[in-house]
Amino acid sequence: MGYLDKKKAESLNKAKRERSIGNLGDPKNPFDYYDREYGTVPQDTKRAPFQWVSEVAYKNVHRIVTRGYDTTELMEEGYGVIDVLFIDYQARIPTIEEEKMLNYIMILALEDGLSAPAAISRIVARSKTFLTQACGASIMAFGHAYGAYSAFGNRLEKYLALSKKQNLSLPEAAKLLVSENLNDEALGVSNLMLKDPAAKRMLARAEKLGTAGEYIAFTREIVAAAQEISTEPVDLDMLGATGAAMMDLGFTPEATWAILAVTRSFAAGAHYIEEVEREETNRLGQELTPKEDYDGPEDRPVPPLAERDKYAASALCTTPDEWTQRFERMKTINGSGFGIIEEVEDPSKKSGIKKVGKL
Amino acid sequence: MDRKPPFRRKTSISYKTEEKTVMRGYNLSDLAEEGYSFYDAMFVLFQNRIPTETEEKMLKYEMGVFLEHSMSPSAVGAIGVSAGRPNLPVCVAAAVSTFGGVHGPGAAHGYMLNKYLKRAQKEGLTVDEMAKTLVDEYMDAGRPVMGMGQPQHIDSDPRAEPIHLKQEELELNGVYLEFQRAVEKYFHARRKADGRSYVGVNVVGSGNTALMEIGFSPNAGWCIGSVVRGFSCAAHALFNMKKGRAWGASRNEPMVQMIDLSMIKYVGPEDRIVPKQEERQEYARTQKEEGEYKQWVI
Repeated sequence: MGYLDKKKAESLNKAKRERSIGNLGDPKNPFDYYDREYGTVPQDTKRAPFQWVSEVAYKNVHRIVTRGYDTTELMEEGYGVIDVLFIDYQARIPTIEEEKMLNYIMILALEDGLSAPAAISRIVARSKTFLTQACGASIMAFGHAYGAYSAFGNRLEKYLALSKKQNLSLPEAAKLLVSENLNDEALGVSNLMLKDPAAKRMLARAEKLGTAGEYIAFTREIVAAAQEISTEPVDLDMLGATGAAMMDLGFTPEATWAILAVTRSFAAGAHYIEEVEREETNRLGQELTPKEDYDGPEDRPVPPLAERDKYAASALCTTPDEWTQRFERMKTINGSGFGIIEEVEDPSKKSGIKKVGKL
Repeated sequence: MDRKPPFRRKTSISYKTEEKTVMRGYNLSDLAEEGYSFYDAMFVLFQNRIPTETEEKMLKYEMGVFLEHSMSPSAVGAIGVSAGRPNLPVCVAAAVSTFGGVHGPGAAHGYMLNKYLKRAQKEGLTVDEMAKTLVDEYMDAGRPVMGMGQPQHIDSDPRAEPIHLKQEELELNGVYLEFQRAVEKYFHARRKADGRSYVGVNVVGSGNTALMEIGFSPNAGWCIGSVVRGFSCAAHALFNMKKGRAWGASRNEPMVQMIDLSMIKYVGPEDRIVPKQEERQEYARTQKEEGEYKQWVI
């Protein structure tokens, strides 16, 4: 394969130039549209051919190897999933205490009732899909509010780095963090676990096993700082406990996010199964949306197409003032997107949308 | 803060109050405090029971050996999705969703075993006799026998037979292992008699047999296998996000990238002129009548 034969390309270009195609021959274009190649780019023989490059794992006909360890040999030697998670993400065998701690965390992360991942799994199940689609969808429920492990962890790292740079004590850094992020969903402190001791038990377990480190210590300070300035009772929540305990086990915020989202997906599979077992499927057009839930424009006749100009309203703004007025007007139209902001950043190194929410 | 669930359901899996999260009657925090393993929790979740020690060991082995598989459709899916730099869970969701009718079709293998075991019981045949029937029926119909063969591990999946052996070592050899072993025996014999090459059992054939032997349904087994792979696929996506180049098409890399323009091989219709709107109706009618387009319909 490669570019089309020169004669054929010239013939096609000539015919197109003579016919003229819309604005494509306009001299404002930074190219001569009727002098371009056809066909695919020839294979690159100057660079090395494409290969799947990986630091994580390889396989050949006879073995599968992660970070240097043959996975079948690992199992034969008595290791398991928990150990392979340390190997895959950290290229190391965990201590027995670390293995126990991650096991503990994953049990707590497995199930959360009918919260978003289970609900999404069930909704997908009702469309009569593969189980794996529902499990996949459940993982997508993990964002920067629900299961916000990357946002939580990256914030801890940011303020810990700041404390070192500015020579702040942990309590001082925690106070600063809380003063700047008190109402954020990923703070790790909230009113969600005032009656449930599970989060505190998790940190106690980490301390008992000797896996607790600077992240748990910092999180405890964050809890204290939040309790000092919050107007309502707050305490450590599951996000804070789990995120801090995972990071003290050496997992990055992103690895934590992925591991715990996947862990929940097992239970999402059970919810898929139960939904199929106990409920009905959905058909296209089946569900109604009651008018009493609707608060948009009143029912109105569709204008005749011939009278479009009479009814149509242009969005064109010619001055910043006009633009501002329209923007403000559009904020009142729910679903238009003018009332929210979503600053999308490249999550390659540190994941997290800078800000999502109401303007 | 609104703490109502997104929708109401009667469920026998779990409930959550302000005081605790309870799965199949067990407080999750108590389960962890007591020292149960994550594998034990899988039995509670899917089977509503605490497993025996050997069952727990079997699941630990099966999940661990299945977790990482380097470049399979699942890892490639995760890496492909990561090229656009979405949030990491999207890559993992894509990876888990690659498990279908061919990649790790654990449920299909399980349903096949269950269907023929039911027939054995109904028709008064032994497990061995029914295994021969299964192999003959599949091979006579030209259908692939589920659980046999792997396109990369061409002379035997390195995980597969060790799973069988572990199952035997743990003395968990029940009706499923007997049936699967018999399927393999007749499958090998038939291929040999037909002069065809050796094709070994794959990790679905052995792993799913073990999962069903320790009490998981075909779907629960499929969930366990597919989702556990998500752990490693997330690592592959993360490696590419943190240490690779976004888009996968940079011409400045020393190696040709995943979607470099030169990686595209086009085998469709030749380049042609777009008809003007005034030519359109006649052009479209002729094209439809000539029917050449039909060879390209997918």
